[in-house]
Amino acid sequence: MRLLLVEDDLMVGESVQKGLRQDGFAVDWVQDGEAAELALENGVYDLVVLDLGLPRKDGIDVLSGLRAKENSVPVLILTARDAVPDRVRGLDRGADDYLIKPFDLDELAARVRALLRRRAGRAEPLMRHGDLVLNPATHEASLAGTPLALSAREFALLEALLDRPGAVLSRAQLEERIYGWGEEIESNTVEVYVHSLRKKLGTGFIRNVRGVGYMIPRRG
Amino acid sequence: MTSIRRQLLLGLLAVVLIAGLVAAWGVYRRAHEEVSELFDYQLRQMALSLRDQSFEPFAGGSRGIEEGFDFAIQVWSEDGVRMYFSRPHTGLPNRARLGYATVETSEGDWRVFSIQQRGLTLQVAQPMAIRQRLAAAAALRTLAPFLFLLPALGLLVWFIVGRGLKPLVSVAGAVKARTPTALHPLPEQNLPDEIRPLVTALNDLLARLGRAISAQRDFVADAAHELRTPLTALRLQVQLAERAREPDERAAAFATLKQGLDRATHLVEQLLTLARQEPEAVYRPGGFVDLGELVREVVTVLEPIAGAKSMDLGVTRDEAGRIRGARDALRTLLVNLVDNAIRYAPRGGRVDVAAYREGDSAVLEVIDNGPGIPPEERERVFDRFYRRVGSDAGGSGLGLSIVKNIAERHRARLVLDTGPAGKGLAVRVVFSPNRAD
Repeated sequence: MRLLLVEDDLMVGESVQKGLRQDGFAVDWVQDGEAAELALENGVYDLVVLDLGLPRKDGIDVLSGLRAKENSVPVLILTARDAVPDRVRGLDRGADDYLIKPFDLDELAARVRALLRRRAGRAEPLMRHGDLVLNPATHEASLAGTPLALSAREFALLEALLDRPGAVLSRAQLEERIYGWGEEIESNTVEVYVHSLRKKLGTGFIRNVRGVGYMIPRRG
Repeated sequence: MTSIRRQLLLGLLAVVLIAGLVAAWGVYRRAHEEVSELFDYQLRQMALSLRDQSFEPFAGGSRGIEEGFDFAIQVWSEDGVRMYFSRPHTGLPNRARLGYATVETSEGDWRVFSIQQRGLTLQVAQPMAIRQRLAAAAALRTLAPFLFLLPALGLLVWFIVGRGLKPLVSVAGAVKARTPTALHPLPEQNLPDEIRPLVTALNDLLARLGRAISAQRDFVADAAHELRTPLTALRLQVQLAERAREPDERAAAFATLKQGLDRATHLVEQLLTLARQEPEAVYRPGGFVDLGELVREVVTVLEPIAGAKSMDLGVTRDEAGRIRGARDALRTLLVNLVDNAIRYAPRGGRVDVAAYREGDSAVLEVIDNGPGIPPEERERVFDRFYRRVGSDAGGSGLGLSIVKNIAERHRARLVLDTGPAGKGLAVRVVFSPNRAD
């Protein structure tokens, strides 16, 4: 899952990025409102973690602009403004959740997962597909009750494909989902991970649509 | 305890009493004069009326005269022998001087009038006490209304003064009812001219107090808000350190955690520095500060920090001489400016500190070759907690507002400019020469 983090404070931004990456998210980080708008125009994000007190363009304005363009990406607001009117204003302008500084890294990750789950139309914390069960919180996976040993990238790729079963994701889209900016992407990496996943899950599990990308078929 | 009411009451009554006494004294004097004139005339008329009487029948003896007749009559023959004395026991002298005279006797002063005729000397006398009694009675009649009026006047004064002071009582009540948070002005309408200045002054004080309190409140709110960010960073950094499994990773996490602590500490210190000056701490001109010496001292103290960043920190001029000012405050000002320069200039950069005279003004100057501040941001950087986009995480956003505060207190001008080579930042603190204090 690829997240956009908008946070002007260097130390907070650095830590959040690092923490969320450890939780298996691809995290891009920008430090002001204008850069956030630019990133949101060009990038495909599953969720935005937005600080409100931003230089150049306020977080609330970024959010309003986003919703005005009918972009429905989930937005989680991070802010030090804890007065009720501030929170109400943030939620009414289109935010999906609100976290007050100082916050806990685990709570942030949990809220991010909850928002992603809701966006995919699931209420259940675990992702299931036939015999395959994925736990996004613990990064544990099992096939027919047998635990699977998956690397973080393998897990991320599987999660991306399972997020919308039946949808075909291109190689570039998959790379986007599993890598943040500045993270080194090895060549053929998607192919390598797909290959390794097929070995663990069975060859037919991930299908290749030639010239388009990969998909996990919807189960009827 | 002094009471305006009591003072006014006693004062007014005393004035009335003194006025009454003076009036009575005047009346007494006047009445005495008039009674004297009248009685003298009466004495003379009586003597003249006796002139034609024959005193032969009285000669050689005296007969009692009716009680209530307070005149005394003496008659002497040609050879000076008293022929007649109507009241022998009065102690009047046995001789006479013609005309009016006042004689002292054992029974008090007597007024006498003597005439001579047909060889006889006639004298009519009357005690002075009568005149005094009559005059005193007249005086008393004058004084009486005053005496009767006094209690009524007292009551009236008590009542009127009480009424007059009522606005003061209500103002006191209004002030008393105030809580430290209710600082709206006291009502100024329907107040007597004497009390309005007091209420106006009080309202002025309330307004200033309100401003100071709200500035303080804003400051506390801002501070609490600003502390959240470094605390958030600390919390996250602690969690990352907890998560770290590898020793290298953990060491790195602890290093960032330490940076986070340094930054939180720095912010708290800066907040304290600012709080000590806010909102309107009294500035005392203090003594004289040698700017050259200050520049050398601050550069010496901060050199190790600059050295750690491989920066070249030095003094270019130190000839500004002495100015009036608070040494500690000016030191804080310069430390903040130099610290800012070190903080924001790149590694291996250069910071020049100077103190010099420009015309009549003394100037403190700090120049760095860092990124500088674009002109459109130069006003805002003095705002509390203003941090420039993408600036180094260690800043508190308070340094320049501390500098601004101290400069204002010294009535110095702050000028931000581009460095001499067209890059970097030059900060000048210009102390005006004719400071009136």
